[in-house]
Amino acid sequence: MTAITDQDHDQGHTEPAEDGAAESVPEEAEASGGGSDEAVEPEEGEHARVDDDTAGADSGTGWDDGLIARRVNEAAGEQPVPAVESQASVPQTATTLAYDGALRSRLDALRELVGLSRTRLDSRTLAEAGRVLDEAAARRRLSGQHTVVALAGATGSGKSQLFNALAGVTISETGVRRPTTAAPIACSWSDGAASLIDRLGIPPRLRRRPAQHADAEGQLRGLVLVDLPDHDSAALQHREQVDRVLALVDAVIWVVDPEKYADAMLHERYLRPMAGHAEVMFVVLNQTDRLPGEATDQVLDDLRRLLDEDGIALGEYGEPGATVLALSALTGDGVGELREALGQFVAERGAAARRISADIDAAAWWLRPVYATSRRTGLSEEARDEFAARLADAVGATAAGEAAERAWLRNANRACGTPWLRLWRWCQDRHEPPTGRLPLRAQADEEATARQRVEQAVRTVAERASGGLPTPWAQAVREAAVRGSQGLSEALDELAARAGLPPGRPPRPGWWPAAVLVQASMTLLQVVGGLWLVGQIVGVMAPNLGVPVLLMVAGIIGGPLVEWSCRMAARGPARRYGMEAERRLREAAAGCGRARVLDPVAAELLRYREVREQYGRVTGVGV
Amino acid sequence: MVTLDVRPQLIDALSALRDRVAAARFPLPLAGAPRARANRDELLAQLDDYLVPRLREPEAPLLAVVGGSTGAGKSTLVNSLVGRRVSEAGVLRPTTRTPVLVCHPEDHHWFSGMRVLPDLTRVWVPQQDPGDELLLPGEDPARVLRVETTETLPRGLALLDAPDIDSLVADNRVLAAELICAADIWIMVTTAARYADAVPWHLLRTAKEYDVTLVTVLDRVPHQVVSEVSRQYGALLTKAGLGHVPRFTVPELPESAWGGGLLPASAVAPLRTWLVHQAQDPAARQHVMARTAYGVLDSLKARMPGLASAAAAQYAAALRLTSAVESAYDSEHARVRGRLQSGAVLAGDALKRWRAFPLDCSAGELLDALAESLAALLLCAVTAADERVDEAWRREPAAAAPSLRDRDPTTESAEHRIGLAVRRWRRELEEYAEDEVRNLDRSAAPDPDVVAALVATALLGGRRARSAGERLAERVGAHGALRLRDRGERLLADHLNRVMHSERERRLAPLDALDVHPEPQAELIAALSVLQKER
Repeated sequence: MTAITDQDHDQGHTEPAEDGAAESVPEEAEASGGGSDEAVEPEEGEHARVDDDTAGADSGTGWDDGLIARRVNEAAGEQPVPAVESQASVPQTATTLAYDGALRSRLDALRELVGLSRTRLDSRTLAEAGRVLDEAAARRRLSGQHTVVALAGATGSGKSQLFNALAGVTISETGVRRPTTAAPIACSWSDGAASLIDRLGIPPRLRRRPAQHADAEGQLRGLVLVDLPDHDSAALQHREQVDRVLALVDAVIWVVDPEKYADAMLHERYLRPMAGHAEVMFVVLNQTDRLPGEATDQVLDDLRRLLDEDGIALGEYGEPGATVLALSALTGDGVGELREALGQFVAERGAAARRISADIDAAAWWLRPVYATSRRTGLSEEARDEFAARLADAVGATAAGEAAERAWLRNANRACGTPWLRLWRWCQDRHEPPTGRLPLRAQADEEATARQRVEQAVRTVAERASGGLPTPWAQAVREAAVRGSQGLSEALDELAARAGLPPGRPPRPGWWPAAVLVQASMTLLQVVGGLWLVGQIVGVMAPNLGVPVLLMVAGIIGGPLVEWSCRMAARGPARRYGMEAERRLREAAAGCGRARVLDPVAAELLRYREVREQYGRVTGVGV
Repeated sequence: MVTLDVRPQLIDALSALRDRVAAARFPLPLAGAPRARANRDELLAQLDDYLVPRLREPEAPLLAVVGGSTGAGKSTLVNSLVGRRVSEAGVLRPTTRTPVLVCHPEDHHWFSGMRVLPDLTRVWVPQQDPGDELLLPGEDPARVLRVETTETLPRGLALLDAPDIDSLVADNRVLAAELICAADIWIMVTTAARYADAVPWHLLRTAKEYDVTLVTVLDRVPHQVVSEVSRQYGALLTKAGLGHVPRFTVPELPESAWGGGLLPASAVAPLRTWLVHQAQDPAARQHVMARTAYGVLDSLKARMPGLASAAAAQYAAALRLTSAVESAYDSEHARVRGRLQSGAVLAGDALKRWRAFPLDCSAGELLDALAESLAALLLCAVTAADERVDEAWRREPAAAAPSLRDRDPTTESAEHRIGLAVRRWRRELEEYAEDEVRNLDRSAAPDPDVVAALVATALLGGRRARSAGERLAERVGAHGALRLRDRGERLLADHLNRVMHSERERRLAPLDALDVHPEPQAELIAALSVLQKER
């Protein structure tokens, strides 16, 4: 029961199909139109080889990605039809296909894109793009005069009947037995298509010529029609054939009938994934003779609605898109219209290029998640600044700056302070343990840099840089950051030791000696005043209270005054000194971080941007 | 001949099994999970819609469900069997979107209640126009069952016209599967153009697997080719091991052409006769019922272990995810402890502060720097652990569950939570220091802030902060210093464990919320074995 609810129809077992049917078709077909194939006769051996190749590929897995069975013939794609090369000796009237400039540049861009991303993406992701490139190259070497059109559809929809109606002669066996056609049959309206048919892996015994009508011949000149087996019967190998050939033809005519036009298999497995190929797609509603008159339009409208829901652009009102027609192969009703549309389509000779273009679109869409991003990417200025700030924190730039500032200020105060204060401090320091007095950088610390902060800084900056990038590129950016951060902490350790303040006495401003001199003279004034007073008391000197007291008071008040004003004046230089210390560390750390982490990250981002640009060129928007 | 004999124990066991199946959940997106979910829903539907009601009430009318591809003419067939237009037929595919059940008026009560197909709403008014349905998508036409009554059907037989099994409308396919599962008799309709299609063959194979009562109808066969097509179809059926299945052929007649009227009674007479016979002959009726019921019961033997193993796989995956988180956090925890031991906190800013202490740096500043450094270390450990978990989960398909993947970016709030924990640690450490200082002689008491800063440095600084310990001993005495350091160390370890633990729990919370347990597996198997004992 799961088989029904399961969306994935192909998971089922392989089926009790009559394999006998596969064999019975060719014989009869051969008999009916065998003589008309001179052009292909000489390369019998080659064909056998091609056949073997593709047969090997066929036995692979079925449908496993969103597009038309790309994988089925991967092996065939890698080895683009060997028969082609040997064709040179065979007289060939047809010229090879030429792509126009836009398509060529898109193909080149795709090739470049694949080359650029090989190291970053796994080969499975790129396989589809590689296949498109191979197929485009293979198709280009073949005839541009011909258009290969496949007739595809469900079993019993009347593909073979329509095939015969178009060819004007019974080529493909029709019947009530389901499924009828087991192997693809080709019919070429003009010469020179042999190598094209080789590429499809259709053996010579299954190649036919249409009935010789002058008008039909002219109208459909250049057409190579391929009748495919069904895609929905229980015979799994039919589906594999269809998938393989559909990937190689230039255009497809989907034949549907009133009974089966809404089948999930057709829409979900084929039409939706191929929606981008609408321009090289015909959808014909066959068997209109089974419908009462007015119902045909109704069904046709419903079919159009379903196609629209599948995302297939309909070629109405002159817009490019799929052509939808109703006809009856049995009565011949509407076949003329199809013939006309087909003739016009073939005469344009643009189908192969359009198909390749649609293939590129599909491949680009498939690659979209690994290239495109909706957000602006790159390393913002803030992220860089933040990284530098975090590294500065890790080496302790702020604390070092503050410590240097305070030490300088302390020294200034000590130098310019009153001697009495210094005496008092000295006395006090004798009781204190001297740990904090050790000068800065007295001992070299191993691991002076905070490892955890460096780690966190690198992680954050990698996170910021890879934000919004498609997964593989984000991973590459992160790896670049991590690789760069190895040894960063050690480098910072070393750098912090080197980039600290220059050893020796810190620089002193010009007023410093003057201030020391003034302070000294203040002390001198006190001393002189004191001695004078003492002299008067002792009686050595003439009693004159005013001057010495004045001197002493001036000294006593002036000393702290000078100290205070020095402290005020020293603030600026101290701050500058501290800032200088901080700046040195900060810049050294930032420089180290830039060289080791930011630059590799930026290089990785640049690489991504390059690829992104190339991708834009592939999709055709970024040109 | 098998007959249906039902004991209450069997029904109890079946109900228990049904509850177990209903309780099974497969939230992790493993490779087999979608299939397991579908199997579970299907099994549940089959138990609710068919098996339990059938075993409870063997006297209920037989339900024959007409299923098949879109455009196979199911509705026309039902209409023709009934003799009037009860189900919409037409040329647009898919035609039937609302299933229609037709029964004798006196059987109406069997189907009007929620005995079978309980999750379909019953409607009695015929739908006006299929066009309206398309315009009113809000009504969800798929979950509705239309019940029609007609005198022309015999009592004890009901026909159900199901939607197609292969059209574009996915709801139709699911509903069709559900309806077919509810049938006593499966009527599979195919056509001359369709009989080799892959999808209906899946259904036929399923029917064979369950060993249900099956009839196939080859519909819309152009009369010129009747014998040939019929023969080939028969050959295909025989090849698939379904040769014994009753086969009816209905020719394509002008009357049936596309939404027209009814087929003449003669065209469907054999099928009608067969169906009426099954419904009215007690022995045949018993046989039909028993065969399908036992077929489904037997199929449980294969399906329950499937569900159980899917449940086990879920649990195994959850276990792997959990252990990835645990090992990541454990190893980061160990790394943090090692770093604390080696004094990694006393580096950078904190180290510079310590070198300047106490002359050019206050105790408060030193403590601030240490706390900040500690917070940075913890945050680093937590984010590193998260990164490891992400790395490990990237390789696990189960980690793609939306609730696991769409984690809110918690880095900022992790920073916040860790900051909070570190501040609490600092406050407690300061309290310890105050306690210690209070115990000392009042006159010589040192500044508690300085003591706290020294303790913190000694704890976090490793070897390079040896002098901090010495100075601490000078200030609060050797005993006091030892006591203080012991308590501080315990406190630190405590907070570290708490932070790492809570972050790990936070990481595991969405996984726990998915509620994946080992029990369902055992329960499913146990329910099955109880059921088998009761048979």
